[in-house]
Amino acid sequence: MKAYLSAFRLRRRLELQYRGAVLGGIICQMFFGLILIAVYRALYAGKPQTMPLREITSYVWLQQAFFRMLLASDPELLDKIRTGSIAYDLCRPLNLYGFYYARIMAQKLMGSLLRAAPMLVFAFLLPEGWGLMLPASAAGLAWSLAALILGLLCVSALENITMGFTMRTLDSRGMQAMLNMLLMIFAGNILPLTLFPDSWQPVIRLLPYAQLLDAPIRLYTGQVPPEAARGVLQLQTGWILLLIGLGILFWRQNQKRIVIQGG
Amino acid sequence: MDVIKLYLHAMRMQIKSQTQYPLSFLMQTAAQLVMEGGEMLAVILLVDRFERMNRWEAGDLYFFFGLMAVTFYLTECFARGITGNFPYLIRTGQLDTFLARPRGILTQVICSAADPRRITCIAVGVVSLVIGCRMSAVQWTAGKALLMAEAILCGSCLIQGLFMIEAIFCIHSVKSVELVNALTYGGRSACEYPIDAFPRPLRILFTVVAPFALTLQLPGSVILGKPLYDWPAWTVYITPLSGVAVFGLIWLWFQGAMRFYRSTGS
Amino acid sequence: MMSYIHVRNLEKQFTVRQKRAKGTMLREKKIVQALREVSFDVEQGELLGYIGPNGAGKSTTVKILSGILTPDGGEVTVGGRVPWKERKAHVRRIGVVFGQRTQLWWDVPIQDSYDLLRDVYRIGETDYRTRLKELAEALQLETLLRTPLRQLSLGQRMRAELCGSLLHRPELLFLDEPTIGLDAVSKLALRDFLQWENREQGTTILLTTHDMEDIVALCPRVMVLGHGRKLFDGALQDLLGRYDTLRTVEVRYEETGALPDLPSVVPVQREGETLHISYAPAEFATAELIARLQQAGTIRELTVQPQNIDRLVAAMYREMDL
Repeated sequence: MKAYLSAFRLRRRLELQYRGAVLGGIICQMFFGLILIAVYRALYAGKPQTMPLREITSYVWLQQAFFRMLLASDPELLDKIRTGSIAYDLCRPLNLYGFYYARIMAQKLMGSLLRAAPMLVFAFLLPEGWGLMLPASAAGLAWSLAALILGLLCVSALENITMGFTMRTLDSRGMQAMLNMLLMIFAGNILPLTLFPDSWQPVIRLLPYAQLLDAPIRLYTGQVPPEAARGVLQLQTGWILLLIGLGILFWRQNQKRIVIQGG
Repeated sequence: MDVIKLYLHAMRMQIKSQTQYPLSFLMQTAAQLVMEGGEMLAVILLVDRFERMNRWEAGDLYFFFGLMAVTFYLTECFARGITGNFPYLIRTGQLDTFLARPRGILTQVICSAADPRRITCIAVGVVSLVIGCRMSAVQWTAGKALLMAEAILCGSCLIQGLFMIEAIFCIHSVKSVELVNALTYGGRSACEYPIDAFPRPLRILFTVVAPFALTLQLPGSVILGKPLYDWPAWTVYITPLSGVAVFGLIWLWFQGAMRFYRSTGS
Repeated sequence: MMSYIHVRNLEKQFTVRQKRAKGTMLREKKIVQALREVSFDVEQGELLGYIGPNGAGKSTTVKILSGILTPDGGEVTVGGRVPWKERKAHVRRIGVVFGQRTQLWWDVPIQDSYDLLRDVYRIGETDYRTRLKELAEALQLETLLRTPLRQLSLGQRMRAELCGSLLHRPELLFLDEPTIGLDAVSKLALRDFLQWENREQGTTILLTTHDMEDIVALCPRVMVLGHGRKLFDGALQDLLGRYDTLRTVEVRYEETGALPDLPSVVPVQREGETLHISYAPAEFATAELIARLQQAGTIRELTVQPQNIDRLVAAMYREMDL
């Protein structure tokens, strides 16, 4: 347990060490948010939608604020896989899956906590039609927080599989980039999932990608009412269990392969 | 002439060295296709839902997206030395090697890298441009073709100039280089859409500071037959030069900053 | 007549941003004086060794001389040119090898890298061919020209680097730790080559190194730098003479357990049957030592150990407070 916790502490220290870079990243991320919102505003002006504009702007801000939860590449870990020095980790008296799961989660949690707070404050201060709306209801906020935690568990499990998968391909970088793009599109980062065609909605909302940020955001904005929250959380939990199970299976197989490959 | 020969020689070497592992190269090229395809998908879905943006119709939006994509990724492909390598060269002190050779720094930096994987991104941009021209029924003339070439070339200069700011920050060991991304990648993301979508401060930013509006969008709007501004017709051939001017200014700034270069390492 | 390399009162400072102290917002700036009032002259055809502990300012000097850095004060001319003012004209005639970084391409055959360097330095085709042939022969690279750099051993890589930096026939060559990490055979081959290049081509060579054997083998003249100041400039023997105060003698006797009677200023260490005795000739006369050794028994073997040069240099650095 201590080893898992130290992964979190190490991450926090790293993030704080590069606070200049973090600050630059936050400002850049805010700028991207403003650009996206300006585009959606211009589009809305021509053809208003049933969904109010403030739900879209809130969607954008929440996506931007938790950007790091989706995409926090761990170059060190990828290098380890490429160079094969991951074999050293095999010698540690730890469950490899658990160890990497903790490490990935630490990175995602620490990376987004540090960035989300200032961005959310900034987004709240923006005028109506640009900024982040208050949660639809207290219940909605509570449910969305729960869904966010499940989202974190889900994205960590997903990335763990991605990594296990890329280990098997000849070129991890290309595979990683493709899978990441898929994630960015269907998690709603490039374009809010709520703006995807209505006919796609029933399908894309069931995908694991939608469980990461889209589910908590919809609960926050009230697009999904608190009464329906239980179903959302159940779907998330289902995916988490499935993805962790798959991941453990994957790593177990990989472990055998690494042992065979040797130094 | 001599410089062009050197550049072509360096590019041949780049392609040779990057295709040493052909499978990996193909994978990464395919990944680029998925990435830029995803960006285009967003535009397609927006057009599907909203049909138009202000006075710009679907075809116009594809055209602007394509124009930016082609310009940006041509730059990434052929001037990767500036858009990707430059800060790294300074941080690691690798620039020393270039300084100890009888050639211009800029020449050597541009020759130091290429990114042929971007070819698929450029292809996506071209497809978008062609679709846009078809849908908006663009009437091509020699003048328009020339204008388009000028816009892409000047836009590329602008992009290179903006990326150079990152290198300058590195000389002064400023840590928040990500700020520059707001201008470079931010400029790309914003100016994939016509400039009049944006509120005044952003319009000023992308007209005066990072003049994507003058280098790419004004010529684009004239080609589409819907000029952004009602300026005299000839001005559209002049405004793209602002991209070259920005490049020149930043290059001067870089040369000034080089006095503070302190090759780190060893 | 001004000498080939002419350096007067060279000064260079670096501003180092320190880690911010707790509770304060601004980073402290600290000025580090990398070079102070360094002056020296080098004539064409010399082979000069440049030593000093890490951070002494060796690399800074080399970087100023090769036009990479601009000094804060002082005068420098190389072959009549100010390096940082006429950079391109200057670097055309110099070659630089940085021990830690490569100027060759990692993934392509080294010959391809040389072809590109030919275009960078605008070397004529026939001249390029003869020079490459000559260098490849001298550096034993002929069979490796079609091999990518990444497949070369460390020693081969350093030879390939050297070849690349000499293609354009520079009159002055800077070498920054060329033998670092090389095995004994490669080191010897490299030293032979440098001597050949210096003698046959008349190339002036300035070498920074931590390997004192490089200096002993190659450099009639040595410069010592410490804390940015020039501390010594002259023949290696003169430098060592000053610190060469301790001798070691090894003795073996026919009789086991024989022990000479020596005062405490002359410590004796026993290792098997061999006695290691170190003494300072100034404190205890050599003649007296020999006499006492003979009194203790029948000497089977006696050797005077050559002074360990690394120890000497360490002693010198200590003395100079570096």
